Order: sequence, then structure tokens, then C-alpha cells
Amino acid sequence: MLKLHYNLEKISMGLVGAIIAVASVGGIVEIAPLFTIEETVEIPADMRPHTPLELAGREIYIREGCYACHSQMVRSLADELDRYGPYSLAAESAYDHPMLWGSKRTGPDLARIGGKYSDSWHMAHLIDPRSVIPVSIMPAYPWLTRALDTRLIEDSLATLARLGVPYDADMIENATADALAQSRPDSDGAEGVRDRYGEDVPLRDFDGDPDRLTEMDAVVAYLQSLGTLTGEARRLMAEEDE
Amino acid sequence: MAMTSTLTSTERQIGMALSILLVCLGLVMAGVAKQGPMMVHGGMAVALGLVLVFVLGGALYDQPEPSPERLTQYDDAPIRFGIVMTLIWAVAGMAAGVWLAALMYWPEATPPWPATSYGRLRPVHTSGVIFGFGGNALIATSLYVLQRTSRARLADALSPWFVLIGFNLFCVWAATGYVMGQTQSKEYAEPEWYADLWLVLVWVTYFALYIRTLARRAEPHIYVANWYYMAFILVVAMLHIVNNLAIPVTWGAGESFTIWSGVQDAMIQWWYGHNAVAFFLTAGFLGMLYYFLPVRAERPIWSYRLSILSFWGIVFFYMWAGSHHLHYTALPYWVQTLGMTFSVMLLVPSWASAGNAIATLNGAWHKVRDDATLRFMFVAAVFYGLSTFEGSFLAIRPVNSLSHYTDWTVGHVHSGTLGWVAMIVFGAIYSLVPKLWGREDMAWPRAVEWHFWLAVTGTLIYVVSLWNAGITQGLMWRAYDEGGALSYSFIESVEAMLPYYAARTLGGGLFLAGALLCALNCRATMCAAGDRVDVSDRPLVAQPAE
Amino acid sequence: MTTDPKTLPGADPHTGNREIDPVTGYDTTGHDWGGIRELNTPFPKVALIALVLTFAYSLVAWVLLPTWPLGRDYTRGILGLDQQEMAEEQLRALTALRADWLARFEDPDFGALADDDALMAVAMPAADRLYRDNCAACHGGDGGGGPGYPVLRDEHWLWGGAPPDIALTLQVGINAEHPETRLAQMPAFDWMERGERLALSDYVASLPSGAADPDSPGVPLFAENCVACHGDGGAGGLLNGAPSLTDAATIYGQDVQRIMETLWQGRQGHMPQWSDRLDKAEINALALYVARMSAEEGGE
Ligand code: HEC
Ligand code: HEC
Ligand code: HEC
Ligand code: HEM
Ligand code: HEM
Ligand SMILES: [Ca+2]
Ligand SMILES: [Ca+2]
Ligand SMILES: [Cu+2]
Repeated sequence: MLKLHYNLEKISMGLVGAIIAVASVGGIVEIAPLFTIEETVEIPADMRPHTPLELAGREIYIREGCYACHSQMVRSLADELDRYGPYSLAAESAYDHPMLWGSKRTGPDLARIGGKYSDSWHMAHLIDPRSVIPVSIMPAYPWLTRALDTRLIEDSLATLARLGVPYDADMIENATADALAQSRPDSDGAEGVRDRYGEDVPLRDFDGDPDRLTEMDAVVAYLQSLGTLTGEARRLMAEEDE
Repeated sequence: MAMTSTLTSTERQIGMALSILLVCLGLVMAGVAKQGPMMVHGGMAVALGLVLVFVLGGALYDQPEPSPERLTQYDDAPIRFGIVMTLIWAVAGMAAGVWLAALMYWPEATPPWPATSYGRLRPVHTSGVIFGFGGNALIATSLYVLQRTSRARLADALSPWFVLIGFNLFCVWAATGYVMGQTQSKEYAEPEWYADLWLVLVWVTYFALYIRTLARRAEPHIYVANWYYMAFILVVAMLHIVNNLAIPVTWGAGESFTIWSGVQDAMIQWWYGHNAVAFFLTAGFLGMLYYFLPVRAERPIWSYRLSILSFWGIVFFYMWAGSHHLHYTALPYWVQTLGMTFSVMLLVPSWASAGNAIATLNGAWHKVRDDATLRFMFVAAVFYGLSTFEGSFLAIRPVNSLSHYTDWTVGHVHSGTLGWVAMIVFGAIYSLVPKLWGREDMAWPRAVEWHFWLAVTGTLIYVVSLWNAGITQGLMWRAYDEGGALSYSFIESVEAMLPYYAARTLGGGLFLAGALLCALNCRATMCAAGDRVDVSDRPLVAQPAE
Repeated sequence: MTTDPKTLPGADPHTGNREIDPVTGYDTTGHDWGGIRELNTPFPKVALIALVLTFAYSLVAWVLLPTWPLGRDYTRGILGLDQQEMAEEQLRALTALRADWLARFEDPDFGALADDDALMAVAMPAADRLYRDNCAACHGGDGGGGPGYPVLRDEHWLWGGAPPDIALTLQVGINAEHPETRLAQMPAFDWMERGERLALSDYVASLPSGAADPDSPGVPLFAENCVACHGDGGAGGLLNGAPSLTDAATIYGQDVQRIMETLWQGRQGHMPQWSDRLDKAEINALALYVARMSAEEGGE
């Protein structure tokens, strides 16, 4: 062995080849089967992708670096189930490019935040966290009240569709209009959003300012969608209880 | 001692052509984007290209052709540039760290504009220190070590400049992108697709330069330091490419979607993230340790055989360990078991390298006592041992169930990065700067001693306070009272962190003060060197014909 | 197996001799990289032992736990563990721990429960944690409310302050998605003349002080438009979601400016339903906790 190495370390391309070979094994063994073992991700029948408005909110969540402080992954540990709700399923982030599981909980997990608070609470909290939680150390995001830039929404859906997220041509074509319509429940487009994304999609003016489509509308719509894209996690936990 | 003085007129012309290409690239980027971060980045490329055209063009007229003599010497001009950039990024990146630490204690201090918000500055800190500070230090020292241990001049004169300048353009794009809200959100791989592609170009050039220079070596055997630098270059390329595969939303938007999603994306991200630690923050710096420690101590490496074990152990085991970042998540259990067990086995080669380094100091302990520079390297080896032990411990599932998501991880991170990475870099810098600028010693030798104590105290305060923070946090999250109900609300755990966050800010502040002192000391040393001619030591044997 | 010293790394091919390091007594490998040398120190046994031990540890783990991928499947390990099932198992164990006291909240007689000091000693801290993780964000850590969120610790109730009423409020929410949610809507009085609205606001703003001007032009307007929901003199208590206006602790603020706003745009507060997040017993415990909070503050 020693002798072998003694010779190897004289050949630079040999060393290069050996490093690549030795370093490749782990990744291949751990990653490739995640694509082939079926039980890794089982998409439930009721799973829907994010609406265009929620997707725009997700981009803002990424842009502002919320993931630096918030995880979106309830681990399979009793205390987490107790505090946050059902453990996260692989399917729940199957349409997330990239996933936002996070690595630090300076603030609480957000995987099940959808529906926990009202829109106006989120709005107040994001503009000034300490107005609702006096001891909060979360930064304030007052600038989120500015208008939402919707120029990329259609292309975003189209790109995600290419990556396998189930957005059909109809959804892509109407993406920009749907983003606006979701925040205007009384508008003509609202019905279309329901048709395309399901009856349970919340149609509301999320930021309480019906005249404007703001970044706040998008972020709050996104937060309210977390944990609600499929009921599978709650169903599995409930089955377990019986 | 102008940077361009060792370039021939042909090289200056090729350099100008490349700079013009950079200007064109910038124009295309700006033109396609028309707005947003990508346009700003295009503008930066144009500006940088123009400056380079100007500098090289000026040199073409003003500066005499370098003497052929230079080919018998090492090429150190790009290395000097790399060291200066290391120092600049050290101060900028760590200042960002201290500011973030302060914000976690004092969030009201956040100015009300988007660019300075915590979430945007955090990657400025991580990329700034890992890539800016660590990366420049690695590239610069690797080129230095490569030449000395091969007794050969760098294979060509332009590519080291391309690598260093190109790499720093990448770092500046990264940091300014985050501030403008541009990020892919993948930790340690946040820059957008065009910056990622640019880095591939830089990295391929780096590899080619490395391997071509190595081919000219005078000693048949390749020294261990070069094994590590080479593993660093190769594996980082692999990781970077796979993890950053993405489709741009439109060509002009500077936004993209990662092609991976969900659980596969999580695994690939942490295969990348963990091995960014392994091959960026560990393998490369072990290369640095393997050169500067024996040279400074004037001792032979303690065991060649142990070097072999630790090198291949690290290259093999590390690549399996990434899933320890995903314990108890939706990642399948089987991958977690692999990550856990390989992390435990990884401890052996890790401690073998730390032990080899410390045993190398046998017979030189009096130097460790008297020479703060060598002491930096010794402490680095000790912290390397500590943080890898801690890492293997944290990788055990039940331990991770407590530590994951808490400040314990951040404490572990900084025992590695402050105690190991930064300390070994400072040791290397204090060895290199006098040599590269032709002086006997640093301008202020006493300041090195001060820096050492600031760094050690700062690290200890940082790490100890965050261990306390993390363990407290983890225990509070899972504490149950006798009635079988959770004892603490989340927000109570946030409140409990405040004293620790305050202490961490203090520790980080001390560490930053030390880094600042180092930068000033180096500046004084460089200025005192004045206008000396190139002082690079000569290769020991004649150059093979080109 | 002994190796010929002449073939060893760094050895002189003729004599087998190598340079000896005076400090450690070991020979070097004979290489020299710009002054750096390496010792040919034999492989330390302890490293080998450590390698074997960590490998043994891993081997045991691989046998017991799910580990190796096999194309479309993976080895399950002889313990047959599943992390999700284990978590549920643990949760069940914890739930069992609290089952004996929590069960008493399933279908409670709140009066009897509240008198059981031993029960309260375990239940109230648990409810306190639930309150802080779920409710304090809106209603404040001490139940003091906040702009847009009612005070819980006072004696005024929108939907009733008896524990069963509170429990129902929590169960279904107010203006929430629950099919049986409580509905509370303060209509917008944007059709009123601005002068009238001002007069009304002045009048309503003066109610809490008890010094309202009985001749105010607001009085008839109030009687005509508001009493139906807010009760006589704005005393509330109709348990229809309309708050008492004579109470200083208001939801949206009792200054003229805020009241004008309320009249202009109307109000529709949103209290989430908790039925799908907390179980019935937990909700009942919380209801009792909230009721006691208010009792402590101001008497029933
Ligand atoms: C510096 C860290 C930090 C950043 C960055 C941050 N948060 Fe928070 N967040 C916190 C902390 C701490 C809390 C708990 C205290 C509170 O509720 O304010 C919190 C709470 C929350 C909550 C309430 C969760 C609950 O269950 O009570 C939401 C929702 C939230 N954050 C969303 C966001 C969004 C959206 C962003 C980015 C735009 C963000 N956070 C950025 C630290 C942060
Ligand atoms: C998103 C914010 C929010 C959260 C979280 C919240 N509430 Fe409320 N709650 C409200 C609002 C708003 C109202 C008043 C609704 C209205 O305006 O009619 C309310 C009303 C109530 C009432 C009725 C008060 C009365 O006078 O009848 C009770 C009781 C109550 N909340 C208790 C709780 C408890 C207990 C929790 C936690 C499990 C909780 N709330 C969580 C917003 C919230
Ligand atoms: C249809 C029933 C209804 C009528 C009629 C009505 N209100 Fe209200 N009012 C409500 C409800 C329900 C709320 C609570 C809304 C909420 O909390 O979101 C409310 C809230 C208010 C508030 C805010 C109280 C606080 O605590 O901050 C004021 C002020 C008020 N009403 C005044 C009036 C006046 C003045 C009139 C007559 C012009 C009036 N209301 C008529 C149902 C009514
Ligand atoms: C044997 C070697 C090591 C092992 C097994 C190891 C293991 C771990 C583990 C288990 C975590 C926590 C993952 C989590 O819960 O999220 C972690 C995080 C981390 N470690 Fe290590 N570690 C090792 C060495 C090091 C060293 C030497 C450094 C730095 C130089 C380092 C830097 C980091 C970083 C930066 C993170 C944080 C990643 C993130 O969440 O962003 N590690 N490591
Ligand atoms: C002056 C010294 C430093 C201070 C005060 C500091 C402070 C911080 C802070 C406040 C964070 C965010 C932690 C959180 O999210 O809770 C952080 C993260 C991080 N820092 Fe530093 N830092 C310093 C130096 C360094 C250095 C020198 C390096 C690397 C060479 C480094 C690497 C990192 C990494 C990798 C993370 C991310 C950790 C994770 O995701 O778990 N830091 N630092
Ligand atoms: Ca709106
Ligand atoms: Ca990237
Ligand atoms: Cu790791």
C-alpha cells in the first residue's frame, strides 16, 4: 500500500484522478437513490403548487433572507410535533426550487404558520415586530409596503414548469393576472384563480390596501400558504391517533 | 514595484485583450439586464476591465521589458495582491459579523432601508469571510507553496492574475448582490447563475495553472500540502457545479431556479455545504498548515505515513457526512445513518492531521513559547482538533436533536472558523508578509503578540457564550414539566439568548480588533518595504526550458 | 512480513540508510521540498485502533438501522425503525403523561375544575405556555391586547367570558375560515355626513369617561344606528361581537381619530380558529386560563 502511494504521489494526474474517484463515492451513493427509491417523495393527491402571488412572496422571503433565521422543517421529534404540528413531509417541499428548510432557528419554525395568525397581524409584525411582540429581535421590514414587481411572474411559472412543477399552460398564461386577482376577491379574475388552484386558495386583500398590489400582499399570501398546500401531514398524524 | 513590471509586452497585450473581453462581457450583461443587480454587476465588470486596460496599456508605454532573469525566480507579484485582498476581506467580513452579532442583541439599530437588513447582510458576512478572506488566503498561499515545494516558477504569468482578479470580482458580485436582494438562498452558494458560471471559468484556470506548474516541479514527489490544495481545487469545483445547476428565469433578470427541489435539493445542498467546510475550510487550510508550520518550526513533518492516512481519510469520509445537517428531517432515515456513521469515522483522519501537526512541534516548543506567529499555527491545530471532535459529536443523531437549529451550531462554526481557519491564516500571513515584501520581520513585532491574545480571548468568549446559548436554547425547546406539557414558549428562549448574544458581540469585537491590528501591521510592513525591486527568492534549480 | 529497507521510501537504494532526526530518533523519507522534510515515523497504533473502533460503531449502526441504498430500496436494519413512527410514539408517551389531567378538560365542569388546586397547579402552567406560543402575539403576554386586538384580562367580552363561551370562541374563531365561525362586522358608516360622523365620534369618545354630554347631537344618531349592536348607551354586553364602548380598554383605540376611522371603513377583526391546531382539551384549558386571567384583574 505504502509503496503504491509512494508511486502515486509522483504522478500529478494520477493524484487528480484518485482524488476525484475517492471523493465521488459518497455523493453518488447518497444522492442517486433519492431519485430512484419511490417512497422518498410521495406526492399526495391534494397537493397544489404555489399560486403566482405566493410564489412572488417566496421570492421576497428569499431576497430578505428570512431563511437565515427561520426554518421550514418540523423535525420528527415529539417536542416539535407538540409545538409546531405534524412533522414535515418530503412532498411538502417537492415543488420548492430550492427548498427552504433552513439551518438556524433564531425565530420559530414557519412550516405550519399558514392560518395561525391573521393577515393584519403579519402586516403589523413585518412592519414593526416589536409593536406586537415587545421582546422580539426580528428586524423590521417597513419597505415591504411598496408595489409588487410582477414582471417576472409569468417567466417564473414557465421556468418552474420546465423543472416539473405542475403549472399548466393556462396557469402560465394567466400568471400575472392571477397574482393581482388573488388579492382582489371581488374582481373578475378571482374565479379563474379558484378554477386553476382549487377552491381552498385564499382570495383576499392580504395587506388591507385594496387599491395596491404590494410586496406585503405577496409575502403574507406566501406565509399564509405554508403548511396548507396539502392536508396530508395532518391526515397522517390523525390516522396515527386512531 | 508595479504589479505589471514582470509582464512582457506580449503578456501585457494579451492581458489588455482579456480586459477588453471583460469590458464586453460587462456591456453584454448590463445591456441584457437593463436594470437591477445584474446591470450593476455588468457595470462593475466594465469598470474593472477599463481600469485593467488602462493599467496594462500604461505599462506597455512606460515600463521597460522585464529582464529574462525573472524566469529564474518565483512569481510573487500576484501573491502579494492576494494577501492584500485577504486582509481587506478579513476586516470587511468580520466587521459585518460583529455588526450582525450586535443586531441580534439590538435589532432596533437596523437602519430602515433594505440593503442593511440582517437577512441580507448575513451572507455578506459568510461569503465575505469564507470566500473573500479564506479564498484569497488559499489561492495566494497555494501559489506560494506550490512554487516553493516544486521549486518551479508559475507556469505562466497571466493566469494567476486572472484567477485572483476574477475571484475577487466574484466575491464583490456576491456581496453587492446580496445587499441588493439578489440571492439563490442556498447557503454558501448564494450568488446567482452568472456569477456561478464566472467562478467556474476562474476555477478551471486555477486548476490548469496548478497542474501545469506542478508538472514543472524539480522534486519527483508531490508534497502533502499540494495534495490538499489539489483536493481543495478539484472537489470545490465538483461541489460548486452540481449544487449550483439552475435555470435562469430570463437571461436578463439575474434570477434563477435551482434545478433540484425538495428533499433531493436538501441533500445536494448539504453535500455541498458540509464539503464546502471540508474542502474549502479544511483541506485547503491543511495545505497551508502543512507548509507554514514545519517551515516556521524548522522541524520535519512528524509522520509521512500518518499524512497519507489523514489525507485519504478526509477525502473519502467527508463526502459522506453532509446528511448530518438533515437529521430528523424529511430526508430518509437511511441517509441520516450514513451521515452519522461516516462523521464518526471522520474523526480519526481529522485527529490524525491535528496530531501530526502538533507532534511536528516536538523539539520546537521553545519556539511556540517565544514566537507568536508559530503560536497562531499551534492554536489553529488545537482548535482544528477541538472543532472536528465537536463536529463528530454533533453529528450523532440524538446529540443533533438537541443542537440542530440552535446557536450551538454557530458556536461550533466559529470554533472552526475563528480558532482554526482564521488562526492558521494569520500565522501564514505573519510568515509571508515580511518575506514577500523583502523584510526581516513585521514592522511591529509586538503587535503580533497583541493580536494573538486578542484572537484567543475573542474566540474563547465567542465560542463559550454560544455553547451556553445553544445548549440552553435546545434544552428550553424540549423541556417538559411533570405534567407532561412543554415548559417554555419559544419567545422565552429568545429572551434567554440575549446575554449570550451580548457576550458574543464582545468576543467578536476583540477578534475583529486583532484582525484590524494585523491589517495595519501588514500595511506598515509593506510601506516600509518601499520601492524595493522584486525580492523573490530564487528557485534552487534551473528552470526547465519553456 | 518484513520489507527490505532498501525499498523503503527515502532509503538510499544501496545501503538502505536514511537521515535520522536527532529529536525523535526517526529517519526521514529522504525528500526535501524547499527545506521541508518528513519523518518516516511508523504508523501510530492508536490511530489504527481508533479507526477500527469507529468502524465497529458504524457497523453496528448499519446492522441495526436503515442504512444502505439498494437501487429502488434500502436495508431497513434489524430494529426496523422509522423516525416518524418513533416521534409519534414519543408524542403518545408524553400525551399519556398529561392524559390524566388533560382528560378532565375533555368535557369539563369548569367550576369544579377551577376549584381543584392540584389540577390547576399542573394545568395552568401548561395553558400559560400554550397562551404564549399561540395567543400572546396578538393579545399580549399579559392579556393586555393591542391595537386591533381585544384585552382579555378585563371584564368586558365580545362573545362572553364564561369558560364555555371562550372555548367556543377559540374553537371556531371570529371571522375565521371555520364553517361555524363567529361573525362580527362593524359596518362602515361612510354614507353618513362627515359632520354627523364627527359628532358621533366625539360622543363615543367621551363615553368611557362617564361624562358624555347628554345633549350631544351624537346621542340621537347613536340611538338610531348603533344601539342595536352596542347596546343601550354603548354598554355592550349583547354578546354579538360588538364591543362595549363605555369601557376604556378598547380594541382600536377610543380617540376621535380612530373612531372616525372605524366609522369610515368599518371593522372586521380576524381571530383565527384553533380547532385544527389545538385539541379540545387544550382549548378548554386555555379558556379557563383566559377566564382566570380576567377574574384576577377585575372580578367576574
Ligand atoms: C434576526 C432574525 C430574524 C429574521 C431575519 C426574520 N425573523 Fe421572523 N422572527 C424572528 C424571531 C426572533 C421571531 C420570534 C419573535 C416574534 O414573533 O417576533 C420571529 C417571528 C416570526 C413570525 C411569527 C412566528 C410565530 O409562530 O410566532 C413570522 C411569521 C416571521 N417571523 C416571519 C419572518 C419573515 C417573513 C421574515 C423575512 C422577511 C423574517 N421573519 C425574518 C427572527 C427573525
Ligand atoms: C392573529 C391574532 C390573534 C391570535 C393569534 C389570537 N387571537 Fe384571540 N382575538 C383576536 C382578535 C382580532 C379578536 C377580536 C375579534 C373581533 O374583532 O371581533 C380576538 C378575540 C378573542 C376572544 C374573544 C374576546 C371576547 O371579548 O369575547 C378570546 C377569548 C380570544 N381572542 C382568546 C384568544 C386565545 C386564547 C388565543 C390563543 C389560542 C388567541 N385569542 C389568539 C386575534 C387573535
Ligand atoms: C351590525 C352591528 C353593529 C352596528 C350597527 C354598529 N357596530 Fe360598532 N362594532 C360592531 C362590531 C362587531 C365591532 C367589533 C369589530 C371588530 O372587533 O373587528 C364594532 C366596533 C366598534 C368600535 C370599535 C370599538 C373598539 O373597542 O375599538 C366602535 C368605536 C364602534 N363600533 C362604534 C359604532 C358606532 C358609533 C356605531 C353606530 C354608528 C356602530 N358602532 C354600529 C358592530 C356594530
Ligand atoms: C470532523 C469534522 C466535522 C464534523 C463531523 C462536523 C459536523 C458538523 C455538524 C454535525 C454540524 C451541525 C449540522 C446541523 O445540525 O445543522 C456542523 C455544522 C457546521 N460546521 Fe462542522 N463539523 C466538522 C468540522 C468542522 C470544521 C473544522 C469547520 C470549520 C472550519 C466546520 C464548520 C461548520 C459550519 C460552517 C457549520 C454550519 C453549517 C450551517 O448550518 O450553515 N465544521 N458540522
Ligand atoms: C469577528 C468575528 C466574527 C463574528 C462576530 C461573527 C459573527 C457571526 C454571526 C452573528 C453569525 C450569524 C449567526 C446566526 O445566524 O445566529 C455568523 C455566522 C457565520 N459565520 Fe461568523 N463571525 C465572525 C467571524 C467569522 C469567520 C472568520 C468566519 C469564517 C472564516 C465565519 C464564518 C461564519 C459562518 C460559516 C456562519 C454561518 C453559520 C451557520 O449558518 O450556522 N465567521 N457569524
Ligand atoms: Ca393590497
Ligand atoms: Ca449559487
Ligand atoms: Cu457538516
